[in-house]
Amino acid sequence: MFHWLERNPFFFAVGVFLVIAYAGVVTILPDFMESARPVVGKKPYTVLELAGRQTYIKDSCNACHSQLIRPFKSETDRYGMYSLSGEYAYDRPFLWGSKRTGPDLMRVGNYRTSDWHEYHMMAPTSVVPGSIMPAYKHMFSNTADIETAYAEAYTVKTVFNVPYDKPDMPKLGTLDESKKEVMAQAALIVADMKSQEVKDAFKKGEIKEIVAIIAYLNSLK
Amino acid sequence: MNWLNDNVVLLTLIAAAAIIILTVGVVGKYMKQMQNDKSGGELAKENWDGIGEYKNPLPIGWALSFLGTIVWGLWYVLAGYPLNSYSQIGEYNEEVKEHSTRFESKFSNPDKATLMGMGEGVFLVQCAPCHGVIGDGINGKAANLTKWGTEEAVVATILNGAKGSNYPMGEMPAGLLDAASAKAVAAFMMQEISSVKKTKNAALVEEGRALWATCSACHGEDGKGMDGSAANISNYGDAKFVVNVLGMGKKGAIGSMPKFNDGRLTNVQKLAVGTYVNSLAK
Repeated sequence: MFHWLERNPFFFAVGVFLVIAYAGVVTILPDFMESARPVVGKKPYTVLELAGRQTYIKDSCNACHSQLIRPFKSETDRYGMYSLSGEYAYDRPFLWGSKRTGPDLMRVGNYRTSDWHEYHMMAPTSVVPGSIMPAYKHMFSNTADIETAYAEAYTVKTVFNVPYDKPDMPKLGTLDESKKEVMAQAALIVADMKSQEVKDAFKKGEIKEIVAIIAYLNSLK
Repeated sequence: MNWLNDNVVLLTLIAAAAIIILTVGVVGKYMKQMQNDKSGGELAKENWDGIGEYKNPLPIGWALSFLGTIVWGLWYVLAGYPLNSYSQIGEYNEEVKEHSTRFESKFSNPDKATLMGMGEGVFLVQCAPCHGVIGDGINGKAANLTKWGTEEAVVATILNGAKGSNYPMGEMPAGLLDAASAKAVAAFMMQEISSVKKTKNAALVEEGRALWATCSACHGEDGKGMDGSAANISNYGDAKFVVNVLGMGKKGAIGSMPKFNDGRLTNVQKLAVGTYVNSLAK
């Protein structure tokens, strides 16, 4: 019946491709599309949180901290509800990490607060005896790059249709409007902080990296 | 020849012999076939560099197993996978359910020692990062729990005020009473209102009773907080007070404490933490 296929290697190859591709399409795509949709209530990061996320990537936090809670009782007891694919819908790139030298941070916003992060970044062993995490003092003096964060948000809004400026979603608007939003969000965090250096800089309109990364970590829920 | 008595050795030897005999037989058969047999039948059209292919029917065993695979494939797609598929979440749910059932039956009526042990374990994981391993608040980074629940802590609260629990009555202002009156009212509160039911300054209780109106305006005559308008201080010094704070979180003068109401702690575990925290006060 298929002797003519055996005489035509090219069409044979096309046939093999079609059979395997069909199997892939029916088994992979439906599940993939379903689970990649944002879970209900998931919001994109605000510009300040994105600036913090860039700091997180820049300082390679993901080399030691994962952001993926597996469905095991031992993990959910410690870190909270297991992760779902749809929770990463606005993560570009995702920061699952591949090694836990430190604990998972997927839902750290549920159980740590701004003031704790401030102590911890300045001197990790001051709150966690025996911690091997290095101090991130430079976050208190480096200024967060809000313009780049805005550019990232604007890009994903334009290219990937990320729902900024939709009802109940973070506002983006123009760069100037966005900077006002950023200052308002940063003001709440700075108010919770103790560092005079950070507070003085904020009065001059500068947002330090520590403020941005705390905003990001608090948003992880 | 002791090793010949071993069954496994014997079985291995028999199997080795069988393999040799079969190999010799099969190889011999095909050698003979290659020497003597003449090929025949209808040739297919295609040939590769002079090597052709006969249009022979499928061997029966081959054809049956091929059909069997197709039948199994249909069953697997239509019934096997949808009805019996493994799910990681399903296994997780079963694991959690089994654990919760076991936990509830084992700790349905925990005694003090059990609560203390459990409380210490939970405290070290969930509370120690802020309050410190020994609960001292790590030099003022969080509330000092070795002081909490004592009469001195009540005096300090009256003098310094309290805020951050979002009660409808609002913040408790600092300096409602002077130091001496605060000491007296704390003595009365510890003896008559709180769960501790004893005071170090028994002589001051009556003086404190006269001043109680300052507190009862918000906390109520019985200290129960007037149905949630202000903090219920009648269970001060009791595990329930801690359980309440765990549920609400707090944004006080020192810093923020997150809520522990996302299901990470069971009610028994919360009670255990409360019991353990109470024991920290010296």
